[in-house]
This record gives sequence, C-alpha cells and structure tokens, in this order.
Amino acid sequence: MGRKLLLEKAHVEGIRSFEVYRREGGYRSVEKALKTMSPEEIVEEVKKSGLRGRGGAGFPAGMKWSFIAKPEGVPRHLVCNADESEPGTFKDRYLMEFIPHLLIEGLIVSSFALGSNATYIYIRGEYAWIPDILEQAIAEAKANGFLGKNILGTGFDCEIYVQRGAGAYICGEETALIESLEGKRGNPRIKPPFPAIKGVWGRPTVVNNVETLASVVPIINEGGEEYAKIGVGKSTGTKLISACGNINKPGVFEIDMTISVEEFIYSDEYCGGIANGKRLKACIPGGSSVPILPANLLLKTAKGETRYMNYESLSDGGFATGSMMGSGGFIVLDEDQCVVRNTYSLARFYRHESCGQCSPCREGTGWMEKLLYRLEKGEGKSSDIDLLWDIQRKIEGNTICPLGDAAAWPVAAAIRHFRDEFEWHVSHAAEAQTRNFGLAHYADPIHVPA
Amino acid sequence: MSDTTLFKVTIDNISIDVPAGTTILNAARMIGGDVAPPAMCYYSKLEGSGGKCRTCLVEVSKGSEKDPRPMPKLVASCRTTVMDGMEVKNITSPKVVDARAGIVEFLLLNHPLDCPICDQAGECHLQDLSYEHGKEGTRYEFQRRTFKKHDLGKYIQLHMTRCILCYRCVFAADQLTGKREHGILDRGDHSEIATMIEKNLQSDFIGNVIDVCPVGALTDKTFRFKNRVWFLKPMNAHRDCPTCSGKVTLWNRGEEVFRVTARKDQWGEVEEWICNECRFEKKLSSDWTIEGPRLIDRHSVISQGHYAGTVGTNMPTETIEAVLHGRKPKLLMDIHEVSEVNRPKIELSKINGPAHSNNFNPDND
Repeated sequence: MGRKLLLEKAHVEGIRSFEVYRREGGYRSVEKALKTMSPEEIVEEVKKSGLRGRGGAGFPAGMKWSFIAKPEGVPRHLVCNADESEPGTFKDRYLMEFIPHLLIEGLIVSSFALGSNATYIYIRGEYAWIPDILEQAIAEAKANGFLGKNILGTGFDCEIYVQRGAGAYICGEETALIESLEGKRGNPRIKPPFPAIKGVWGRPTVVNNVETLASVVPIINEGGEEYAKIGVGKSTGTKLISACGNINKPGVFEIDMTISVEEFIYSDEYCGGIANGKRLKACIPGGSSVPILPANLLLKTAKGETRYMNYESLSDGGFATGSMMGSGGFIVLDEDQCVVRNTYSLARFYRHESCGQCSPCREGTGWMEKLLYRLEKGEGKSSDIDLLWDIQRKIEGNTICPLGDAAAWPVAAAIRHFRDEFEWHVSHAAEAQTRNFGLAHYADPIHVPA
Repeated sequence: MSDTTLFKVTIDNISIDVPAGTTILNAARMIGGDVAPPAMCYYSKLEGSGGKCRTCLVEVSKGSEKDPRPMPKLVASCRTTVMDGMEVKNITSPKVVDARAGIVEFLLLNHPLDCPICDQAGECHLQDLSYEHGKEGTRYEFQRRTFKKHDLGKYIQLHMTRCILCYRCVFAADQLTGKREHGILDRGDHSEIATMIEKNLQSDFIGNVIDVCPVGALTDKTFRFKNRVWFLKPMNAHRDCPTCSGKVTLWNRGEEVFRVTARKDQWGEVEEWICNECRFEKKLSSDWTIEGPRLIDRHSVISQGHYAGTVGTNMPTETIEAVLHGRKPKLLMDIHEVSEVNRPKIELSKINGPAHSNNFNPDND
C-alpha cells in the first residue's frame, strides 16, 4: 500500500469547503512557507524533492523554477496548466473537482516562491463545471486571508484568476497556452525565447501542471528530502495515474512509483485486472501521445526485467522497446481491440487538433489519418504501412511544438510492434471488417487464464 | 563595428564573422549561393515571420565554442541565432536534405499544382523549392482540400486552395496597415486565411500582400490571366508618388505595362513597399520614368534570358532522354524550335529599352 500525499483527504466529507479543508490540516504549507521561508529556500526545497513536471515531459520542476528571469521592476507570473486534453488523462480534473483547495494552496506557495502577484489557472473549456469550483475555493481562501493583499500579514500580495480555454488540445502546450491566455489564437510560439524569459505579456513566466503545483504542498509540509525518499531513483514522490480502457476498476489512482506495471493492472487495489475475464493485449501507459506497448513488452522490459510504474522503467529500452510515463493516462486494450482502429482514432484526434501553423504537422497528420482510415476500412495497400512509417519519421522532431511528435509516436509504435496486424488488415481485408486480429504473439506471458 | 561582438559561424565549412544576434539564415545569406537555406515563410522585413514552413531546417553539429554539443533536433535557421564558434550543416547534411524533401512533399500535399493556369508560375517560390529540394511525383492519393476564391477588395483575389499558410500576408497586413482585419480561421489542414468576415481590405499599402505571397494564393486582379511573367520584361522605373517611394519594377511587353510590382532583392523580398495607386492604377508607360532593365536574381524561369552573361553558357546538361530514363519523348512539336521567346540568342537585358515583338522577329537577326 503506497502512501497518498495528494488524494489522502480527497474523499473527506465536505473537503471542498474551506472549513473542512483547513480542519484537515490544509493551508499549513502557506503559513510555513510565507512566514518562515524565503522564496529561494522554497525553490531549493522543490529542487531537493526531485519533483518532476507531471504534465508529460517530466522536466524537474525545481530546475524550471530556477530558470525564471528576474529583471528589476518586471512582474513575473505563474500559470497553472489545467488544460488537460490528452485522451486518456483525467487526473487533474479529479484533483480539481474533489480537492480544489489543495491546488489553490500549492499555487499560493509557488506564487510566493516565484514572486508572482497575478497567477492564472488556464482551464480546459470542456471542464465547464470546474471553474465554478475553483472560483468558489479562491473566494473562500481570499475571505480567510490566504489570498489577496498582504497574505497572513507577510506583505505578499497574490491574486489567482481562472481563465477558461475554448477546448483546444494545442493550448496545453505552454506557449500556445500563453498566447491563448493573452486572448490570441492558440498557436505555439517559436522558442527561444522560452516562457521563463518572455511569457505572458512578455514577462517571465512559469507554466506548471496542476499535479506538479499541488505536489508542492506536501513538499513544503514534509520537506524536500522526506518527499524524495518516496519513490525510486529520479522518480520521486507520488504520481496520479488515470487508468481507463478494458479494466475492472477505471479511475484515478495515486501510486508511489515503486509498484510494478503488473501489480498496477492486476491488483484489486488499483485496476483490478482486465474486464470480463479477457486477456491483456496492449497498453498506452502515459496518455495518447506516448508509444503503445504490447503486453509482453509492457510487463517485462526487453531485457526480461520487471517493468515498474515510474519514469525510468517505463522508458527503459527507448522507443524501440519502451514507452514513457507521459501525463499518466493509462489506457489498457484487451484482446478484442483492434490496434489499427485505435491508431486511426488517435491519428484523427491529432489531425483535428493540429493548429496548422507549421507544415509537417498540418499536412502530415491529415495524410496519416487518411491512410489509416483506408487501412482500417480494408482498402489499404501494403505499401501504405511503409508510407506511414516514412511520414511519421518526417514529422517527428521537425515541428515547432511537441504536437507533431505526439502525433508521430503512436503511429510509429503501432507499426513497430503490431506490423503483422496492419499487414493482416491488407491481406485479409474482408475478414478484418468482421473480426479482430486477436492476441497473436502479443499476449502477456504471465496471466494466461486457466 | 567596434561596439558589436562578432561571432564566427561556419556553415557548410564556410566561415563568416557576423554580429551577435544574427540568425543562421541571415549568416548563410551573407555567404550566399547554395549555402543559404530556402525560406518560404521567413521575410526579413516582417517582424515575427518565420519558423513555420520548416524548409530552412539545418543541422547544428556544434553548438558553440563554449558548449560544443550538437543540437538534438534540426533547427529552423530563420529563428535560431548564431553562437560563437557554431558549426552548421545545410546541404552537407543528409539529414537536412532528407527532412527538406519531406517538407516539400508536405507543402505540395494540398497544393493544387495548377501551375499552367497560375499567375505566379515562373516566379513562384514553391516551384523553385520543389525543383531544387523536392522529389518527382507524389505519394498522396487522396482528394486535395479546396476552397472558394474570395475577392479581397477590387484589386486582390485570394485563392486559398494554393495557399501554404506561411502567414506572411497576415504579418504584412498587420504591420503595414493600421487595422488588423486579416488572419487565420479554423485550424489544422483546413485552416484558411480570411478577413473578418469577407471584408474588403482597404489600405493604401494592402497590395503588398501580393508581393509577399510566395505562391499564387494572392493575385493582382489587374494582371490575372493577362500574360505569363516570363514573356514580360522587368524594368526599373519610378514616379513621384505622394504616398510611397514610387520605386517599382514595371513588367512590360513592348510599350505596354502589364503589371507593377515592388522591387525585389535576390531573396525575393520587397526592397521598399509600394502603394496601391502605383501598383494598380498606373499602367501607362507615360506614368513612369524608366531607369533600365532589372536583373531578376534567383532561380525562377522569369530570369531566363535576364542573367547577364549566362546565355549560351548555362544550358542544361541533362538531355530529355536522360530525364525520362532512356525513353525518347514523343513530341509533336519541339516548342524550343518554334517559340520565339525561348531562343537563347536573345538576351533581353542587352536590349536597349523594353523588349518588343520585333526583337523576336527572325528577320532582324
């Protein structure tokens, strides 16, 4: 049983209200940070904790904070990225919906550490009911003196504003988010300059994921070194995983990154095994953009070692035989799922969400979608598979923002690991419309039903 | 130049010292020739342009003298500034050549390739790019996206089907005119350049969006379908214009002025913006003081016969048979034998004054 730091109190009756949250020990970190620590000490503490960005890239949060430029007389901003739009990822929604004060608390401490007097929460447009919850929490915090002017008599002013997006995946990219926040079209900016130098309105800005900022609370409460003891290696602390797909218990789980993938899928504490007594075929372990892994590579690495739910283990073997932790959207596919159809569905998503600014992503995503549609419908040619491989190769790394990579990786991984299924869709075109390819050799070697 | 630091940068093994803050692309342009990466969206006169088309991607094999690590990905040379001791590979990098061929394919994916009826043909940057960096043939077997043509006022037509979304016109309309009413609607491969909403573009300088457009998406309605650009002779001319500098290029055939454009430098960029009156209204030779023939640089077919001293020496070395892999072409007529304008003996720039059909008359040889 792993420790819970974020969701421990999430199901206490009435935790959404300030009184209950405060009674359960909330806002202690604000008192501790603002009254006894300097901003530099907080950044140092976050660095010590080894906290990695929870939005997908896994960049050390303390490092990111220390990069922020501090020119004299220029305001700085903290932006909370709540534009959680990755298919399969819904951990931030859960956190904001059930325990909104935890995010607000983390935001106040982080704002103090970064010197942000105006902090923004940029929230996905589809989360229509959550801004109300957050605004309610902000109003309560303000009424109790934890926000607004002269917080707790320390002289630090901070306001938090909630900004709704209009429902674009691309606005989860930090520079596109900044553009959108400024009221412009959500196109990613060309970097450099990075947001830490020129972000919102040309001012130094840090953009962090909801979970990252919420994790600052236990780091301050318990100390960075204590936090770093949880987890393994460079994967410190706890991570929220949103599990979905063909499992018995879909939902958001807080794990401490020492459990194995096998335990996560099959134990009753977490996913509870594959639904309907089926067998595991494949899994996308970190949200739709990370490479898909067949069951045999998911549970064990290519070297035959057990794969664990942490940053290093999931990416063991690189993209050839590994995947990524990503944003923690754990999508499980059972034996009845068609990988070609699944890949088509993802390609369609990325085509729809490409901003259209740079040519490889704009044109390439549409091309991949059309080819995959054709393959899925049984009208494809075997040369289409090589063509898809070539297209993804030419998109990856050549675009302005990571959306191009995110569109290329799932296609690449599907072809890399499930090429025979693609070929079967070409050679058995009519059959592919009526039945699925099934498990073939992808079956996990461990859980063979009796 | 004592107050500016000079950075030494090596591009394709050619070194040059450039001021700090120069982009790789501009450093390469200072060297010139094949070292300069192609650019479809970058426009040095438009602030914020560049970075979008990805044709100028280069490989940085050494970051700088202090930090010699190579950059992990190909970088857009138009938006990456040089560092001291940086080593860049453009055409010497197989990675770049391969990526660029991919970009050209992507750009042509939804392009209608209607060059035979397109007014931009002959001076089209996309044509140049695909000749130089693309592959023959396409692997795309699906329907291309199409749009309706739109009139942006009485002088400009927008044909989005040809557009490669370089955003140059958006920057131009934004920066040259007072009000911003020109932008992008929608997103992804169905995004389109549009005005809010189908408004006419009204500004004295809005005609410049035609010049910045690298393809035939924005065309001059006073010139549409009037003539092919390679049949016209570019002449430098000027007039006393109250709104702009009045320095233009006239495109003549005989005494007739077919169109007026701004003067473009060797990278196809406008030297000085011109006003709508000069561009669209003054179509008589008597409106202008002609300075002399203008040499058109770069690769376009419009420069056929305009290169000084290249006529007769710069013939293609490949025969048609070589291009067709040994097959003999079935030609009913060899256009080069019949056509008067393609005879390489005549060098238009050597003719005193505008070219006239008399110049092409074989009796005058």
